[in-house]
This record gives sequence, C-alpha cells and structure tokens, in this order.
Amino acid sequence: MDSNQPTLEVTNLVVEYSAKSRSGRGVEVARAVDGVNLSIASGETLAIVGESGSGKSSIANAIMRLIDVADGSISLEGQNLLDLNGAQLRTARRNFQMIFQDPFESLDPRRTVLDTVIESIAIAGIASSHEDQKALALQALENVGLIPAERVGERYTYQLSGGQRQRVAIAAAMVLKPRLLVADEPVSMLDVSLRAGILRLMQQMSEQLGVATLFITHDLSLAWMYADRIAVVYLGRVVEEASAAELITSPQHPYTKALVSVIPVPEVSTHDKRIVLTGEIPNPTDIPAGCRFRPRCPKFRELGEPDVCATLDPKLKSTDNHYVACHFAGQ
Amino acid sequence: MSLLTVRDLSVQYGTVQGGVLAVDRVDLTINRGEFVGLAGESGCGKTTLAMSIPNLLPKYASIVSGSVEFEGKDIATFSESELNTLRWKDVSVIFQGALNALNPVQRIGDQIAEPILIHEPGTSHDEAWRRACELLEAVGIPSARAKSYPHEFSGGMRQRVMIAMSLACKPKLVIADEPITALDVMTQAQILDLLRELSTSFDLSLLLISHDLSVLAETCDRVQVMYAGRAAEAGTASEVFGAGNAAHPYTRRLLNSYPNINGERVFIDGIPGYPPDLSQPQIGCRFAARCSEAIDVCRTSEPDLVAISATHSVACHLAGKSVTHG
Repeated sequence: MDSNQPTLEVTNLVVEYSAKSRSGRGVEVARAVDGVNLSIASGETLAIVGESGSGKSSIANAIMRLIDVADGSISLEGQNLLDLNGAQLRTARRNFQMIFQDPFESLDPRRTVLDTVIESIAIAGIASSHEDQKALALQALENVGLIPAERVGERYTYQLSGGQRQRVAIAAAMVLKPRLLVADEPVSMLDVSLRAGILRLMQQMSEQLGVATLFITHDLSLAWMYADRIAVVYLGRVVEEASAAELITSPQHPYTKALVSVIPVPEVSTHDKRIVLTGEIPNPTDIPAGCRFRPRCPKFRELGEPDVCATLDPKLKSTDNHYVACHFAGQ
Repeated sequence: MSLLTVRDLSVQYGTVQGGVLAVDRVDLTINRGEFVGLAGESGCGKTTLAMSIPNLLPKYASIVSGSVEFEGKDIATFSESELNTLRWKDVSVIFQGALNALNPVQRIGDQIAEPILIHEPGTSHDEAWRRACELLEAVGIPSARAKSYPHEFSGGMRQRVMIAMSLACKPKLVIADEPITALDVMTQAQILDLLRELSTSFDLSLLLISHDLSVLAETCDRVQVMYAGRAAEAGTASEVFGAGNAAHPYTRRLLNSYPNINGERVFIDGIPGYPPDLSQPQIGCRFAARCSEAIDVCRTSEPDLVAISATHSVACHLAGKSVTHG
C-alpha cells in the first residue's frame, strides 16, 4: 500500500432522496450531498461543520453505507466501499465504525453493557471463543474508564447516564481497532461538564490506534478545538476547507465568515462584528443556480449582485491547502 | 422597584424514596426591562426555580417555603384561579422543546389567538386574529402565513411562532426555557437578536434558562449560576463572565468547559464527577466533592451566598480570599 495514501478518500459523493412533490403529482429529488470530495489521513481528524439541512449527516451515513449513494466513490485504504456486497460489507465493517449522537437511542436497553461490547466483537469475528470475546470486552470497558469493568459490565445500558452510554459506544467501536471512526455529534446530547472527558477519550484512542476520524458537528468552536482540519458544508457542498486554526482566524467564504462571527464565546462580548444571515438554508429540491449561497450572501449584495454569482457554480479552489468555493474569495 | 423578587424559595419533589429539594433556599430578582440568565447543568434546579414563578410545577412538586413576589404581591400563595389571571397576561413561558409544543392540526394564527380569546374575554375572533397577525409580523413572519400549519415551518420559524404566542397577552415577564437549544448557530443568533429587539418594543423582562454559558454571556444583563438546587453565584454578566471575574470555582470550571475561539486553541476542561444525589442529606458545600480548591471547611459547613460587591454574590468559603493555585 502506498504510504501516502489517505485512509479515507471520498470522491464526488452524491446522495439523493426522493419525495412526493408538494403538488402531490410526481416525485421531487432532493440532492442532500452534491459532489463532495474528502480525504483523511491516518491519525487525522476532519470535522464537517454545517447547519441542519446542510447534508453533513448524509455524508456520514453514506460513508458508513447506511444509506444509498447516487454517485461517487468512497475508498477506505484503497478499497471502494461502494463495490462491496452484503457479506463483504459485513466483514469490512470492523474497519469503519460509527459513534451516534444519541446514546439513548443507539444502545439496546435490554442488553447488558458487557453483551453490547461482546456483540460488536462477535459480529466482527475477531475472537472465536466466548472467553476471548469476554476478555476483550472487559479490557475495552476498562480502556474507556468504565471501571470496575466486571461490575459495570453486568448493568443494563438503560441504567447508565448519557456520558457512560457514550463510553460504551466508544468501547464497542474501538475494540475492533477500526481504521476510520465516524462520530456524528458525539457530545451534543451531553452536559458540558462531561464533554471534555468523552472527547479526550476519543482523541486518546484515535491517536493510539492511528485512526482517521470524521467528526460531524454543528458546533464550529468544538470542531476548532478537536479537529486538525475543518470542512464547512452548505446545501450539500463543501464551501471551504482549511486547517482548523486557519479556518477560524481567516475564513474566506462569506458563509464561513458569518458562521465564525456568531460563534458564542464564554465571555462578555460586543455584537458589533457579528454577521447574522437572514433566512435559512434553501430546500435541496430547489438548489439555486450559480452559487448556491447567493440568495443569502452579504458579499453578493455588497458587490452589487455580480452576474457571475448567478450564472456560474464556483469550484472549490485552493491556495496553500486552504480551499474556498467563492468567485470573490479573499476580496 | 423590581418586577419579581423570589426569596428563600424551596421546592420539593415527592418521590417514592422521600422528598427531594430540587430548589433549596434560593433568591432571584428580576428588574423591569432586565434580561436575567439562569445557568447550570441538567438537574441543578434552574427549570424548577423558573416554573415555580407562574406555579407551573408538576403535581408531585410543591413550594415548601419562601415567597415569589410579582409587582409586590406574593404569587406563591395565589389560588389556581388567581394564577390564571396572572399567566399569559403578566408572566408567560416559552417552554423547552417548544419545537414540538405547537398543535400540529391547528393553524398557527388560531394558536396565537387562543390565549387572547381565553384571557381577554370579550375580544372578538376577528380582533384576536388581527393581533395574531401583528405578532407574527413582529417576530419576522409574514402575516399571510397565519393560515399555515406548524409542519410547514422550520425549527427556527416554529420557535418564532412560540415567541409570538408568548407575547399574545402583553406579559411583563417572559420565561424562556432553553429557547435556542435545538437550533443551528445562525438561527440561534437570529432568535437572540429577536428577543433583544422585542424586549425593547414590548417593554419586557426576560428570564432566560440555558445550560450554555456562552449564550447567556452574550445576551443577559445579569446571571445566576445554580448548582445542585442552590445559587452558587449571581452577578452582572461582566462580573460573572468578564475575564478572570468568576468568583465560584464551579462557574470557572463551567466556563472552561467551552472552547473560546478568542483564546488559545487548547483542549477544554470538563468537571470530574457528577452533581450530588439530592435525595441524600447534604453536608458542607455541594460542589466540594468536584472542586479542586476545596479545603476542610468546605466539607463540613455550607457556604452562604454573600455579597462581594453591590451586585455580585457568591456561595464559596474561598471567595474573596486569595487562593494560590498549585
């Protein structure tokens, strides 16, 4: 294998949903993901940030092969996940694992903590005897700080707090030593005082195993703190991607600039630099022509509504590994 | 004169195991036109404290001591029919989970008009509908949409409808329980701006409940931080959130639980452990078990909320003393 090859490489990903049209006649197609390219190296964390309706969860679910993909390729260590059929996919799944937003929904309440982790091990087929599976599972629980593992393992998942449940989910994912971890809003349901503990745990385990992480969040400041790079998505497209620090200190896309300006900070601040966009993300059944951000773009209005924004869909272009999809980036 | 003065309020939940004091001897003051924030982790008592103002507590909860004075009258002693004249017209509530609080099969114009028709008898249906339309315009929704149903609105728009409804009978105090929690950051900014505008145009006081200190820091005039049923710290936004000003170790730890993009890019600190089990008797400071600064006295004696300035008070044995951090 080429040592420079990224762990995950997503090329031109398209996800479509069809829905009955509002008139009741015919079917409308919503393009939730519209040509997304992503690449994550071993040990690296890429955050995808966007509002609801941006398509960020669709990207995650497509990569996890939980939903159908209309076009593109998803390559994990050189293997296109979209080529895999049922049995092959089951075998490959141990290599890409997911942590869901809601640990109250993602764990089976009728199972004990130990059985939850053992099930993950059994499905992946990484230990044959029940003794080996149990030993692995206990070790996994200890690794995520659920100690004493024997005692915690006997409890049912419904008896645990949100933070403890998310630890169980991390244990069940990480015990498989995956190459890719997809975490969809892993701490947004938890009390702020618990978030640091869960994120630190994810970070330590990812570092130890050299896992590539895709971190999906609506929280730009959390992405800034946790990820190496951030990709901002808007209406199914990446509109800007850069290192986490650079994206926050010098955002180039008008959408990112607005998002950064409204990040709440835990201190008394003046509101004079905020750019509050009006309106909401348009419906993905009706993506605006030209630049899809144009109808809400303050720059477009400031520049006197240039034609190019209405006619030409801007491509993601890079300067020094900072990618922006705007005809007037940096101006 | 203050609009609302809560004094020494205790609220008890009856459980199978016995009573739990979810709010334990807490004071709260809201002046006219003021934005006051209530902060703290889940289970700290912030919602219980707020809902005891219009006495919207669940059946198994009751106010066991203290007073709730609204415009000089102790409303904690009000009967249900007296409370019904108070609710909506004096105090209204934007409930948590408001995105699902609208009736899915009723036009939003009718839902906004309903409290007007009930609380202002004699109002004609046309008049109530006209006012509902005005309220929609005031929250940035075209009045033509009064005929729409909730499912035709996004989350942010539904929250605007809830805000319009809370203003229907021109209340003096609006209690907003986590009004922006389920919304996107841009929509959060829009809603907070809207609340700020409305507070001026409708001459409102607002009690904003949020677990998110950064939201309170940007919005409120004053804040009260709750911990395990007690007030840990209260002060103006700058006294509590200004750089290095927080006087209670719990407030400081909470503030450090948020990334601050204006500061250094460092990993956030959490707070180890969990809040105490309030069904057990509490000895000493309730935060002591999780506090890295706790000394012997913290484990044996409960600190009172004491003023360290005219507007800033804190319940910590170490407050005002210079503590050297190791």
